[in-house]
Amino acid sequence: MMKTDCPVSPQSISSLSIQSLEQKARRLRATCVQMAHDGGEGHLNGALSCMDLLVALFYGWMKNYPDNPKHENRDRFIFSKGHACTAYYAILADRGFIPMNWLAQYAKNNSPLPSHPCLHALPVLDWSSGSLGHGLGVATGMSYGLKLSGNPARVVTLLSDGECNEGSTWEGAMFAAAQQLENLLVVVDYNRIQSVGRTDVLNGFTSFEEKFKAFGWGAKTIDGHHLPEINDALNEFPFECGKPSALIAKTTAGRGVSFMEDQVLWHYRVPSGDDVRQALEELGEAPLYFREGNSS
Amino acid sequence: MRKAFSESLMKEAENNPQVTFMTGDLGFQVFDEFSEKFGARYINVGVAEAQLINVAAGMAAEGWRPVAYSIASFATARPFEQIRYCVSYPNLPVTLVGAGRGFTYSTSGVSHHALDDIGLMSLLPNMTVVIPGDPTEIEELFPQVMRCSGPAYFTVGRFGEPRYEAEESAVLGKARLLKSGEKIAVISTGEITHEVLKAVNLLHSENIFPMVYQMHTIKPLDTITLDNLADQVRAMLVVEEHVPNGGLWAAVTQWNALRDKPIRLQRVGPPDSFILGNLNREDVRKKIGCDAHSIGNTCRLLWNQ
Repeated sequence: MMKTDCPVSPQSISSLSIQSLEQKARRLRATCVQMAHDGGEGHLNGALSCMDLLVALFYGWMKNYPDNPKHENRDRFIFSKGHACTAYYAILADRGFIPMNWLAQYAKNNSPLPSHPCLHALPVLDWSSGSLGHGLGVATGMSYGLKLSGNPARVVTLLSDGECNEGSTWEGAMFAAAQQLENLLVVVDYNRIQSVGRTDVLNGFTSFEEKFKAFGWGAKTIDGHHLPEINDALNEFPFECGKPSALIAKTTAGRGVSFMEDQVLWHYRVPSGDDVRQALEELGEAPLYFREGNSS
Repeated sequence: MRKAFSESLMKEAENNPQVTFMTGDLGFQVFDEFSEKFGARYINVGVAEAQLINVAAGMAAEGWRPVAYSIASFATARPFEQIRYCVSYPNLPVTLVGAGRGFTYSTSGVSHHALDDIGLMSLLPNMTVVIPGDPTEIEELFPQVMRCSGPAYFTVGRFGEPRYEAEESAVLGKARLLKSGEKIAVISTGEITHEVLKAVNLLHSENIFPMVYQMHTIKPLDTITLDNLADQVRAMLVVEEHVPNGGLWAAVTQWNALRDKPIRLQRVGPPDSFILGNLNREDVRKKIGCDAHSIGNTCRLLWNQ
């Protein structure tokens, strides 16, 4: 395919300090817990595990334009692990893409924020998600299309480790390497827990980093909760010239709430009022939105 | 038909710089000219139908006008969920081209028989389904399909199929009159129409003159022409190279079920089963009773009743 110079794009993690971003991540986690309770839809494991990654992307590395969400030069973003969308909605609201008070409508009747993100309900999105294993393949199409138009924008897709069970993920991985899509970044939220099982068991205890490398990618494994480390890794994009990049982020399911961390139970479970109170206390932050009758 | 298709594709790509073509590693030498002329607008994704569709979807989301190509059975059944979720649901302008539908690859076995493709694609909201019967229809319909604002499924046969005569040009969404007649009408779709015309030509010597319509567009179905026709004839014969569920027969019976005065319908086509035995297309049609002979017999019965 066409030759392009390797993009070099070191960016600082915006003007916000690491400390304030860590606080932001805690507040957004508190928001997810409240949304899951209010909306009656769980999937907190995967929402809480990916929050630091989203903060680093949306407040740092990614070019995004809340006032003009479909700006031609924006970096495209596919939140492929759609079930964990409380995290996605929370950061979209915090970043100014959607009104904050919509968060209270999460998963409710006729809401613009259904329990899996829908492009028709929420046109600021780049893609809908809910069915696993499509994000990487569609991202390769966007990457290829952008290169073909000479648009320097990059494409990022956040995958769950579970959706790397899907064969289509690896069809996309093969294509991305063959077409040298160095404008493509895949972030794997490696929280090691799936719907009813453990990722490593289902993968036969093999390494994501080695798999992506064997498929011809540049790949790195990092601590997905350590913002400076995430930021440093992002600033090295593309990890290898002429190759797509895979960032394997080791995370903890249910991160930040002691009784949720690393528990398969919290893939689906909806938090009770008591659960919410304890979680918010542990996180030390209030949710982003005000809910009537909610004292927190 | 494949030559007509590759030439039509070339024309589209010349006229519209957004047209891109991707194949699931099929079409040996058929698209060499395209690849040479348009470079990176040609993509071979490999034997990866899910990826074929997802690349097309991602490119369409970026404003390109992708044409995704594979053998009909692999293009539809294998990546069905990708088509449903990534193309049909976001209503993206992707033209999915299935080569060799029906019994085109009859001796290749059940893996290659595409007798459910129309049903699968018709199930999907936003999808236009077009099944040309000869090279002329490819040439006339492909540019129209490429002007659809949403997704379409379009089929092409093999090499060297003859052209048939028609009394009208092919217009997307409109049943095409191939032969005028009276009393009964034969409605078919795709290449089985050649068998219909063979049968009808023989029937002329018996002074039996059925009308012949090629229903190249199955979705949306041209119910206006069907309604007009129902007022003129006593019965219709539906001929298809598709299982009885989901194809032209299913579409026509659904239309008929809602009529105040349903018209008499008959069907000639394959049964609801996998076709075993490794027969060539001619013999398999004969064996399961959907060749010119069977079509002629059914027409004769309907005509004489």
